[in-house]
Amino acid sequence: MTSTWVPYLIVAAGLLFAGIYCLLAMRNLIKLFIGVEIISKSVSLIIVATGFAKKNILVAQSLAVTFIVVEVSLVATALAIIINIYRHTKSLDIRKLSRLKG
Amino acid sequence: MSVQILLLVGLVLFSVAAVLLKDLIKAAICLAAASLVLGILFFRMGAPYAGAFEISVVAGLITVLFMLTIALTKTGGDVAESKLATVAFPLFFILFLVVDVIVTKNLVQKIVALPAAPEAGAFGEVLWKQRTLDLVGQVCIIFAGVLAVLALFRKRSKDNDD
Repeated sequence: MTSTWVPYLIVAAGLLFAGIYCLLAMRNLIKLFIGVEIISKSVSLIIVATGFAKKNILVAQSLAVTFIVVEVSLVATALAIIINIYRHTKSLDIRKLSRLKG
Repeated sequence: MSVQILLLVGLVLFSVAAVLLKDLIKAAICLAAASLVLGILFFRMGAPYAGAFEISVVAGLITVLFMLTIALTKTGGDVAESKLATVAFPLFFILFLVVDVIVTKNLVQKIVALPAAPEAGAFGEVLWKQRTLDLVGQVCIIFAGVLAVLALFRKRSKDNDD
């Protein structure tokens, strides 16, 4: 059981690292959001893989479907916010947001 | 199992490419390819509904939304990324994977599996009967997302009028 689970755990942790690194190091807002997407892929992989390894795939699958629906809502809202930020600052640079005060 | 490993490697490679590529459209396409690989993995793990959602919604709809945003913000899209961060990423990533493999192999033996009731029935029964509250939450979140998008774009049209 654990031998089938280990590769998924390793890859999910790797994806989580890649996403967090992207969030910390990149400056483009869309790139930052790509980082969030990679983190969400890691989470959905770990949910389904755990269900697969522990013989509970149906519950895991329904949780993954719920997660994907939440993710879509998040993406639509966040991209709308990014477009609004772009219209205000004429740039996608995250550093310009720190100048917004008041 | 070897196909599974190949798919996992493909997932990691596409995700890393999405982080590293400077061209945003190529990065979004790599992200879609990663979703496609993840969807195939779900199918192979015996989760066809999650796989279908992953491929149709995440690889399809979210990629379209990304493309739309990139097209709408094209003129200001060139943001100079830190070169050090881009160069250092593969090194950090490989280092992390080495530590990850060692730690996970040791730790996973110590995780005690919680007792779970044996599953019966079909996916629909589990989703509609056991996870009913989740469905209510999903509906609320979809409405909240729609209202948020409407509010964000309505605010912009008011600014134009002013």
